[in-house]
Amino acid sequence: MTRISAPPIHQTPVLLIVEDSNEDFEALQRFLGRSSVAIAIQRCINGEQALAFLYRTGSYVDRQSAPRPGLIVLDLNLPGTDGREVLRRIKQDDNLKMIPVVVFTTSNNPKDIEVCYQYGANSYIVKPINFAQLKRDVQMLVEYWFEVTTLPDCPED
Amino acid sequence: MTDETIDLTNCDRELIHIPSLIQPHGVLLVLQDPTLEILQVSSNTQEVVGRQPEELLGKPLSSLLDVKQIKLLQKCLAEDFESVNPLNLSIKYLNKSIYFDGIVHRLDNIIILELEPKKAKGETGFFDFYQQVRGTITRIQKAPTLLEMCQIVVTEVRRITGFERVMVYKFDQEGGGSVIAEDTNQETPYLDLHYPPSDIPKQARQLYTLNWLRLIPDASYQPVALIPANNPLTNQPLDLSLSVLRSVSPIHLEYMQNMGVTASMSISLMHEKKLWGLIACHHSLPKYVSYNIRTICEFIGQVMSVELLNKEASEDIDYKNQLKSLQTQFVEELSQAEYFIDGMVQLKSQLLNLASATGAAICSGNQCVRVGKTPSEEEVHDLLDWIKPQFYHNLFETRSLTKNYPTAESYKAIASGVLALEISKVHHNYILWFRPEIIQTVNWGGNPNKPVEVLSDGSLRMSPRKSFDLWQETVQGCALPWKPCEIEAVTELRSLVVGVVLRQADKVASMNFELQRSNEELDSFAYVASHDLKEPLRGIHNYANFLMEDYADVLNDDGIAKLQTLVRLTQRMEDLINSLLHFSRLGRAELIRQPVNLSELVQQVITTLTIARPQSEVEFRIPQPFKSVQCDRDQINELFSNLISNAIKYNDKPQKWVEIGFIEGNAESKVAPTSLTFYVRDNGIGISQEHLDKIFQIFRRLHGRDDFGGGTGVGLTIARKIVERHGGRIWVESTPTLGSTFYFTLSGEANR
Repeated sequence: MTRISAPPIHQTPVLLIVEDSNEDFEALQRFLGRSSVAIAIQRCINGEQALAFLYRTGSYVDRQSAPRPGLIVLDLNLPGTDGREVLRRIKQDDNLKMIPVVVFTTSNNPKDIEVCYQYGANSYIVKPINFAQLKRDVQMLVEYWFEVTTLPDCPED
Repeated sequence: MTDETIDLTNCDRELIHIPSLIQPHGVLLVLQDPTLEILQVSSNTQEVVGRQPEELLGKPLSSLLDVKQIKLLQKCLAEDFESVNPLNLSIKYLNKSIYFDGIVHRLDNIIILELEPKKAKGETGFFDFYQQVRGTITRIQKAPTLLEMCQIVVTEVRRITGFERVMVYKFDQEGGGSVIAEDTNQETPYLDLHYPPSDIPKQARQLYTLNWLRLIPDASYQPVALIPANNPLTNQPLDLSLSVLRSVSPIHLEYMQNMGVTASMSISLMHEKKLWGLIACHHSLPKYVSYNIRTICEFIGQVMSVELLNKEASEDIDYKNQLKSLQTQFVEELSQAEYFIDGMVQLKSQLLNLASATGAAICSGNQCVRVGKTPSEEEVHDLLDWIKPQFYHNLFETRSLTKNYPTAESYKAIASGVLALEISKVHHNYILWFRPEIIQTVNWGGNPNKPVEVLSDGSLRMSPRKSFDLWQETVQGCALPWKPCEIEAVTELRSLVVGVVLRQADKVASMNFELQRSNEELDSFAYVASHDLKEPLRGIHNYANFLMEDYADVLNDDGIAKLQTLVRLTQRMEDLINSLLHFSRLGRAELIRQPVNLSELVQQVITTLTIARPQSEVEFRIPQPFKSVQCDRDQINELFSNLISNAIKYNDKPQKWVEIGFIEGNAESKVAPTSLTFYVRDNGIGISQEHLDKIFQIFRRLHGRDDFGGGTGVGLTIARKIVERHGGRIWVESTPTLGSTFYFTLSGEANR
């Protein structure tokens, strides 16, 4: 079978990370930086900021400052509008719902797992307390979503 | 019992409202409505109105009365004729006018007009009437007690009517009654005499309820037939229930004659739409009382009926106040009581006083608390079972229990009177009060037990009593009657207790709500705590690793080793948090009971454990196949998994074995032979006696962290939680160095 190849990547994919913990973000950043794919990382520290970024409101009115992300890594427990709500809003929005969302959380509560997949999360990863595993997880995440998977072309509005 | 089986049926059967006869002191005309055609007449028309019956039958009423009078009659029919009776009517006969009191009432589609000739001429106007009754009414109202009122009434009625004897006769609950007031010029007083129910049978009491005044001017009268005999419209005997001239039952006439009474008048006393008693007037000679005087007497009777309520309310006023204050005590005590039965038991003496009882029993569920003198608990239960179908408005009362419940004969001395209150059928809450037998002497007006006459041919004939001489009877098996105010007090107690019961239900509901809320809080606490504890822990873990990665060239081996320890500790702490979280989830998760094949389940557990520890050689012994039990599959799986893995782990023998089985019956108490006790036995290291009670505590470890494969120390705590959630128990027997046996039961339900 002929493998249908992805359209050539003209620009580095943007990865939106919604994470309130600086330590967790630093750990993510550390391993993302080691990946073979050049990834532009955008970080939002809470739900409101993430939605503003995605809807280009508030300080993100300028289109240049808020490019469409190719993938969203979303923490669930966020101050204010939490990750579950952000996920729900993304997956109910016709323009945004095609962006894959990877939930990356401490919670292994079965209810959270169920709810997130019901909302349409594309993946659910429990943050490990295990350095080696974290390294492996991040590596696989990047490889899977940016190398193995063909992401949709995000219509620029 | 003979008095009930013979006399009552005889008299009760007599159809006294359709005698087809009237008394001769007036005429009765049946008119078609609205044509006023004469359909039926009494045969004495010639004597009373000077017309032969044939002259009247089939004719319009105008052949008897003039146009003006017919208009009056029609106007009267259009109105409430109760208030217009009597009509002043006159009939021309032989150029003379005869004056009548016309008494009219409607019956289906006919009109019954009765004419009584006026003995005295002239009309009695409203003012005469008012003058006659004004003083009497005032005196009735001012009477301080019921008995004094009755005394005033008999005196006044006798003054107005001139009867030789006027009495107030009060019915008792059984339909008998006694004379409670009397005014007479006769020698023998009837005051305080009792009469059996048969003296005034049921249908007579019914007629007294319909007509509030009944006059028999001459008991020796010749009854007058109706022509035709039956109501021509229905061809049935004419219903004379509301007729003033209705002929008297021959049995009653005989009764009057036996008593030496020729004329009688009775006025009904009504209380809450029931016949309370009668004003009874007797005369030894014939005596006619005009309709107007009768109206006055009836009015007095009505005023008295109204006053009965007031007088009864003021009766026993001190006693009623006392009952009220007792109720207040119940309110206070019950409002503090956790359960109604506790509150009741606190108020033993008050409970008895509330109904002037000498004994009481409070039954709640299978509990029965007895206070004072009562039948035995078993007798109370039997009695209650007998009473239950007879509760009426949650009450049952009797003053002579043995009459209908012969079983009570053996304890009639303490419980002839029973008052029972049903508080809740659902919760089986009842209160019973008991009163002892009081041996009483009753003065009867004649022997009430001998109404049957044996005739010469040996047959029995019902007849009224011949003798009304004082006849004394000793009554056994009877207690003092329960007073209306006592019954009322008990009824109010019921609403009070129901309030307490409801409040208790409310309390349970709100406690449940609180519990649910706190459970939910605990639920979110567990997750939040685990999340919030884990986040910094993960930071420590990652940063220790960053240090090792980024500063590898600066750190020496000792530094690296210390950081590695730090990392290991963070992982251990995560294990502990996860265990705690798992334990807390286990307590809250819904138990899904289903039939589980334990043989399969145990085999699965063994397989899983063997795969996880391929290096350990263990012999598994299952002496008999398991039965299927009702339980939560996942939890029981975890239970066996924990126990079996412990049995493998804590074992240093070269030939390890684990035996998994069950014992029929409860190994501990043998109380429930159907239950099963499961066990997991090993030939492991055992547990010393001093530690047996500690092993189920959370995070409790008896060995070093890294001995026997480590672990967080939560396995047995979880095992105990699972067993307890299934309604069972878990315990251990052990001999150090030889091995341990863990036993557990699941609830009886689980074994079915």
